[in-house]
Amino acid sequence: MSRVIALPLALPAPRSSRRLARLLKGFAGVAILLLAWELSVPLVGLGPYFYPAPTHVATAFVDLMRKGILPVYFADSMLRYVAGLSIGAVLGVAGGVLIGLNRGAAMTLSPLLKFLFAIVEVAWIPIFVVWFGYGLKTIVLALVYVVFFPVLYNTLLGVRTAPQILVNALRSLGANRLQVLRYAILPAALPSIITGLRVGAGFAFRGLVFAEIIAAKTGIGYLIFEGTQTQQTARTIVGMIVMGLTWLAIDQLYLRPLERSTVQRWGMSVDAEQRR
Amino acid sequence: MTHRALRAPTVAGTMPFLAILLAWWLLPRVVDYPAYMLPPIGDVAAFARDSILDGSLLKNVVASLARLAAGFAIGIALAVPLGLAIALNRHVADTFRPVLSFLQAIAGIAWVPLTIIWFGIGNGSVIFVIANTIFFASLYNTVTGVQSIPTSLYRAVRSHGGRGWALLTNLILPGALVQLLVGMRTSMAYGWRALVASEMIAGSNGLGFMTMEAVQWQRTDVIILGMIVIGLIWMVMDRTIFTAIERRTVGRWGLLQR
Repeated sequence: MSRVIALPLALPAPRSSRRLARLLKGFAGVAILLLAWELSVPLVGLGPYFYPAPTHVATAFVDLMRKGILPVYFADSMLRYVAGLSIGAVLGVAGGVLIGLNRGAAMTLSPLLKFLFAIVEVAWIPIFVVWFGYGLKTIVLALVYVVFFPVLYNTLLGVRTAPQILVNALRSLGANRLQVLRYAILPAALPSIITGLRVGAGFAFRGLVFAEIIAAKTGIGYLIFEGTQTQQTARTIVGMIVMGLTWLAIDQLYLRPLERSTVQRWGMSVDAEQRR
Repeated sequence: MTHRALRAPTVAGTMPFLAILLAWWLLPRVVDYPAYMLPPIGDVAAFARDSILDGSLLKNVVASLARLAAGFAIGIALAVPLGLAIALNRHVADTFRPVLSFLQAIAGIAWVPLTIIWFGIGNGSVIFVIANTIFFASLYNTVTGVQSIPTSLYRAVRSHGGRGWALLTNLILPGALVQLLVGMRTSMAYGWRALVASEMIAGSNGLGFMTMEAVQWQRTDVIILGMIVIGLIWMVMDRTIFTAIERRTVGRWGLLQR
């Protein structure tokens, strides 16, 4: 489990190619895809319910925006995601530090935590539905669950592997337990915590879409599901595109900078972690 | 493989499990709640025994694992050639990177409603979703694998006259393979989630289907057994397959960084 790492989203960048040329070729790639899609529609010839064209999707997007459905769904999804992510992260870090500070507790609880993590969050959704019904509680709980374990485990690992020499140095200088935690253990554990957060954020995003398909009446996941149920497949594809762009934005604007500012600063890139 | 700092002594490690089992056994005797919320531990055990004896549990497990294997094989078979093309040719890489990054962002469960239209409920939909998930994880691993081959090895092969096909089979493919195998744990973690999730929505049998279908009948004993089996299978896969692979590849090729 320690080696389940976040899938870095963008493929690794080639070392030497000019930015502008790269940008243009990237646009060309998008254009090729859209063109191939549009041209293949008459070839498939099975109607917009089975295989909508890009133009159908664009129309559906405008329609969803004009009716105000998409902004509301998007806001609902983000609210659930942020709520689940932050509760899970806070609980995970707190739990990881508390357990990690006690060597015996860490060793005793580790098998149970691994087993609970192995019961993937999607497997909890049926029982959450029985317990809490279809709705916000079930979705947020599933997200809390999926964020909690990677963060907890990696925090635990970070705390347990904090260099003892730093702890000893601080202690011999007269630091109390809180100071040792603040100045030695937490900074040492931070790269590991961030790794856990990235793994959790990735699983949680897919978990969000799945939970909304099963247990929601709004949200992007519901849009994706409902589109096919009501024979408006173009709406499904709008939902998928919004989902993809949202995740790319979260990854590029939040997770990567976060990782850069912590993990890489301490000389531990995800790639190094992966090759361990 | 657990990190050394967290390896538990076996006896102590079983204590939390025993505590949970005890609490579960005691709870209905102390607190009053409807039995469907949390079935007595005996019910789950009885259902486990029955479903093992009549072979239905095994059938579901086999169905799930077969789909996982099929999706895995398809995903890898498609990802490796494309990954090599991206890693070896700058123009291909520049052109397809943005599109692929975007498609990777929607890989997995979001495709299920669409695949139900395309393939109907059942194998087709579930395998598509797993293959789709594995494809993007493996694509990333292939590209990283080729890029992480040290330049000195290229020079060594070239200076011995290796080019084209020889270069590919002797250096590039093995180089990519290492990363593919090492990254397998991560791709499988995504694939396994995709499997369970897509079976819940689009399956007609399998562990995910069994667990989700039980919600309608409020058969919490079935749900809980499903969860336990899902957890156990992942742990077994993790312990046997991935750890063994890691030992063979990473350890043997000296990639182990401790």
